[in-house]
Amino acid sequence: MDTTENDILLLEKFFDEEMNATEREQLMQRVKDDEPFKALFEREKLLITAIRHEGLKNNLGYLQSLEAAMAREPIATTSRRWYYLAAAAITGALVAVAVLLSRPSDPEQLFQSYFTPYPNVFDPTVRGEQTTPLHSEAFQDYEQGHYSKAADELGALYKEHPDPGVLMLLGNANLMVGRVEEAKQNFITLNDKFDSLDLQAKWYLSLCYLKTGDVEQAKKILKELGESDISYASKARELLEKVK
Amino acid sequence: MQSEIIEKIRSGGQAELAWIYEEYRQEFLHWIGKEYRCSSDDSKDIYQLTILIFHDNIKQGKLEHLVSSVKTYLFGIGKNIALENMRKEKRYTPINQEKWLKEYLIDDTSQGTDESFFDMAKTALEKLGQPCQKLVEMFYYEKKTITEIATAMQYKNPETAKNQKCKCMARLRKIFDTEMTKPQNVVPHGYH
Repeated sequence: MDTTENDILLLEKFFDEEMNATEREQLMQRVKDDEPFKALFEREKLLITAIRHEGLKNNLGYLQSLEAAMAREPIATTSRRWYYLAAAAITGALVAVAVLLSRPSDPEQLFQSYFTPYPNVFDPTVRGEQTTPLHSEAFQDYEQGHYSKAADELGALYKEHPDPGVLMLLGNANLMVGRVEEAKQNFITLNDKFDSLDLQAKWYLSLCYLKTGDVEQAKKILKELGESDISYASKARELLEKVK
Repeated sequence: MQSEIIEKIRSGGQAELAWIYEEYRQEFLHWIGKEYRCSSDDSKDIYQLTILIFHDNIKQGKLEHLVSSVKTYLFGIGKNIALENMRKEKRYTPINQEKWLKEYLIDDTSQGTDESFFDMAKTALEKLGQPCQKLVEMFYYEKKTITEIATAMQYKNPETAKNQKCKCMARLRKIFDTEMTKPQNVVPHGYH
């Protein structure tokens, strides 16, 4: 057995947590003093890091499948263990069926399937910011689904305080009551003038184009979102596939 | 109670991961959405990373006892992820989860590791194939004992599983070294 092989056995003992405190200390001292040994140590550490990354990635995929399954149906309080184990398999099967059954659809239908109003996560009362009666009324009406009233109030509010959160909700409220051209302008402004929520604005802008039947514009934005690394990417790719 | 949860996750698998995910999901998503102006999708991305880090800390033996509640601990991780993402991007941007996990591991374990070496290690792991990949993952990520691995992967006995694990690691090193010597990958480094 050559020296390198001995060193590797030593490193395996270290990384497999089979050394006592003294042995570990001696090994770490050698890492400091012995350059070739340090290189072997770093390589071993890197490979184990890559293994851990793969494990994390697999579990991330599992949680994503679980989340998708939870969104589809509420979890029964009994047989949860079975549910968890089956979640990934069911999700996989559902995705496969959805892909097989997916056919080019009517843009309006696709809009209806994919549009969900953005949640009101901007309510300033929660963040301890100063509010006015107009603020409270606008957010309350939005949350209660009184979109026509909310759109007027949010429009007035945005004129007073040009805030990206208000503009996001305004665009959504306009879209909900069928004022698509106004919604489009809201999302274009959000995308062009603000640094936050611009990517979310692109998603909603693509839905506006679908609603008005401008499929080419919608596809252009969806393609851009689909090629990005953001959380809307998979949804955008899925929708793009259906628009084609 | 807290130690029971930790023990449950430490000795468990994906079913326990799913259980903890569901346990705090609703409360966490509501809180992070309001606090950091995240959409529902963005909040879920952060929550998934939070649960993975919590799970990983327990598996790696970094978290054995909790002085606070699990909820406080999870909210703390979530807050750090949201703030770190805002700081890096100078604004709120949806998180690229895989990239985030990679940076988390590199920061955590490999001081000064170049990302290109990490990518080569990942390529080597892909080339390693099954069942080796599963075996080393069970050992180094899931922290299963050799006896547990022998049972799960149907090896004759723990010694056979241990030998197999050593052989797989030897193959992985060899593939990695070959990757490093490919002309497009040759850069000055300290791994040889």
